[in-house]
Amino acid sequence: MPHQCTGCGHTFADGSKEMLSGCPECGGNKFQFHPEGEPVPENPEETPSTEEPPESPETPDSSVAETVGRATTKVRDFVSTRPDAPKDSPDPNAEWPSETGASSSETENPSTAESDGEIIDADARRKQREADDEDHAQASARSDVVSSNELPESERAGDSDDGDVGGLADVEPESGGRVVSEPSDEDPDLTELREQLNDQFESIKIVEPGQYELNLMELYDREEYIIALQENGRYVIQVPEQWMGDEPGDR
Amino acid sequence: MGLLTELKSSISRATSSLFAGSEPKRIGIYGPPNAGKTTLANRIARDWTGDAIGPESHVPHETRRARRKENVEIKRNGKSVTIDVVDTPGVTTKVDYKEFLEHDIEKDDAVRRSREATEGVAEAMHWLREDVDGVIYVLDATEDPFTQVNTMLIGIIESQDLPVLIFANKIDLEEASVQRISNAFPQHETVPLSALEGDNMDEVYDKIAEYFG
Repeated sequence: MPHQCTGCGHTFADGSKEMLSGCPECGGNKFQFHPEGEPVPENPEETPSTEEPPESPETPDSSVAETVGRATTKVRDFVSTRPDAPKDSPDPNAEWPSETGASSSETENPSTAESDGEIIDADARRKQREADDEDHAQASARSDVVSSNELPESERAGDSDDGDVGGLADVEPESGGRVVSEPSDEDPDLTELREQLNDQFESIKIVEPGQYELNLMELYDREEYIIALQENGRYVIQVPEQWMGDEPGDR
Repeated sequence: MGLLTELKSSISRATSSLFAGSEPKRIGIYGPPNAGKTTLANRIARDWTGDAIGPESHVPHETRRARRKENVEIKRNGKSVTIDVVDTPGVTTKVDYKEFLEHDIEKDDAVRRSREATEGVAEAMHWLREDVDGVIYVLDATEDPFTQVNTMLIGIIESQDLPVLIFANKIDLEEASVQRISNAFPQHETVPLSALEGDNMDEVYDKIAEYFG
């Protein structure tokens, strides 16, 4: 049962299309994907909280780590225009696009509205995040995975009869299941998204000559030092000495 | 030849141990563009060495390379503190040549400035990681201090456990609000000043000596 409704905890089999029209139990449309071999938690509410970034509010005022964690998240948020984009992962057991959208937004808070961590308490932040997740999950479910022309029948069926949806997977195993269960299906949209995501995590993004976006956290984190940008988008970098062996006296 | 080398190295060992205790701390002047970092760096350098560090300008990103003034000796209350002042390019998450066009700069020049400014930010971030012992964080007191860049840089500085002073600059301007800055970063000491007018520089030097001495 790799899918679990985050609302009521109802679980669905891998490839099931019941969930495509919302959870039959509670109508929720946010699902957590649990890869095979991983235990499905009893309480669905616990799942998001364990996936929180290190900024989770255990020590609300202690720390630097928290501040930086928060800052990192902010940078990522800032740079990231599509937080629901799938991660570039060749692993066949990796999360599917739709689920990635829902779960990755747990760690990459898509809200750029928060301007100052100091005056926003953690609970408010989490609520905000969950609200956003909802939107992104909905958006990604609508746009990225299930295109309406591919699934008109099952959607209608799901809407009309909540109780009978269990049988639907057997009736139409082909169309509905296929769409969600083949993440390797390289449509151009996905490839583009992937490239976008890769770009976002570069230190410096060249929007066009003369226009740059900088990921400060990345610039700070990298050991090598960018000393010159070139028009073709390449960097000239200075490699730390320890990468080249001992060069006594130079520093 | 071997003897000479040996002699040389023993002398340099002796001198380095002689000055080990008083090696000047490298103080980075950080902040967003146009906060007055270079004006402050020049003020400090002129007051104590007679030289300037670099050109000041209303055009943002005038400083596109970190500049260092070494051995700035600041005397306070009979003691003296020696620091190396590093003036860094303003840190930002976006650089757009179009903002230079507003300052009557030709497009080609604006694009080049923009590229240099971006390299400058990379350099400033690199210095922060490797090469500074303390930070003076300069903010324009007429601007909102609650920005992503400020929060992040202060966070990084804190994570490095670097001593930091926050300077609320441009208090000569009517719209300046020092309170807004000290509210934004209550965990740090905020010192009001006008680097341009030289207002409150006594306190500035007191604090520098206290924090970085």
